[in-house]
Amino acid sequence: MNVIDPRIHQALDGELAAEAVPADLRRTVAQLAAAADLLAAVPGPAVSVESRVMAAIRRPAPSPARRAMRWLVTPRAIILRVRPAWSVAFAAVVAALTLFTADHEGPVLAEHEGIAQFVGRFPEAQSVHAVGTFNDWRPGSIALEDQDHDGVWRATVVLPAGTYEYMFVVDGERWVPDHLAERLVADEFGRENSIVIVRPARR
Amino acid sequence: MKGWVVLACAAFLAVPLAAQSVRGRLEGRIPSEAIPPVDSLIQFASQEGLPTEPLIQKALEGGAKHAAAPRIVAAVQVSLGQLRDARDVLVRAGDQPPVLPAEMTTVAWALRRGLPAPVVERVVAAVTRPPRAAAMHAVADLVAHRFDPDSAAGLIIEAVRDGVPQERLLDVSTAVLQQVQRGYTRAEALAIVRRGLPNLPAPSKPTRGSVAGARRPSSPAPP
Repeated sequence: MNVIDPRIHQALDGELAAEAVPADLRRTVAQLAAAADLLAAVPGPAVSVESRVMAAIRRPAPSPARRAMRWLVTPRAIILRVRPAWSVAFAAVVAALTLFTADHEGPVLAEHEGIAQFVGRFPEAQSVHAVGTFNDWRPGSIALEDQDHDGVWRATVVLPAGTYEYMFVVDGERWVPDHLAERLVADEFGRENSIVIVRPARR
Repeated sequence: MKGWVVLACAAFLAVPLAAQSVRGRLEGRIPSEAIPPVDSLIQFASQEGLPTEPLIQKALEGGAKHAAAPRIVAAVQVSLGQLRDARDVLVRAGDQPPVLPAEMTTVAWALRRGLPAPVVERVVAAVTRPPRAAAMHAVADLVAHRFDPDSAAGLIIEAVRDGVPQERLLDVSTAVLQQVQRGYTRAEALAIVRRGLPNLPAPSKPTRGSVAGARRPSSPAPP
């Protein structure tokens, strides 16, 4: 039976400084220390293939939503076979439909008609009308709308080309000039009318 | 001979019919006591060859704004005076009588917007072919933005002489005002646009969306 020198034990346990170990024992201490480090670095027992397979089988199947998402994000190759004749016909149909709908968007303007846009900011108003020489100063025919309830009232109307004086009538009783209009003129009743010039749309 | 008789009868009947239609438009829209004097003023205008529609509109405006009868009559009287002034300006500038009613309305508007009569005469004399509405409003737009009336009229007259079509004269004043917005002085803005004539930036057209959303005015509510 080999008896290990107790100084080797002490050196390995850190109780004896390496310098204090005799030279003939130092090599043995170094070899044993290296072996101990190697053993400490070895991983634990490897997981067997069988257990890994069984774990995968036991895992729940992905939900339909996840499968759909995976299908959507997975890149796929698509082969597109195009017949030029069909493509040209398709493009022609799209162009015709676009032109057809463009022609029928909004009212058809006559030669001497144009577009007038009325805009006013009346945050507290319940109703706003444009009243002027285009409607014989009769409220009710051109109602402005505040569709998004931001206090800005708008109307876009078709009028015969020409020059018109107008004012806004707020809540049926308050006469207010269009502060955004660049043209104003005294109305002989102590107020100012706004002027709108409607230019023919077809020029 | 027969034709002359028919014409005379038509003229004889036309005046009372026209008067009746004017009264019809005013009834219920202005105080009843204002109707006879307003009607008389409109008849005067008609006899003098002045346009009557601006006077009817002024009366209707007064009624809509709930002005008292004397105020409405006074306003119509002022409008009649403006139309007479406009006719005189046009004749002085070289238009041969009978002056076109639409031109009288245009010049009356220009005078109301603050254009001095001599400047209006200059524009009328330079723009020999009616309608002159675009030219007048273009000058008035510049004057409203504190441009010297003579300089403003000078630019518009030059634009006409350089071949800018009348329907684009408002784009001339718009181009000048855009230069001012960019920081140029009024004199510089006039000079920049003058140098570029007859070329002008493309006019802004209503967007397809706005045209699509446009509607015709609905029938006016009964009085």
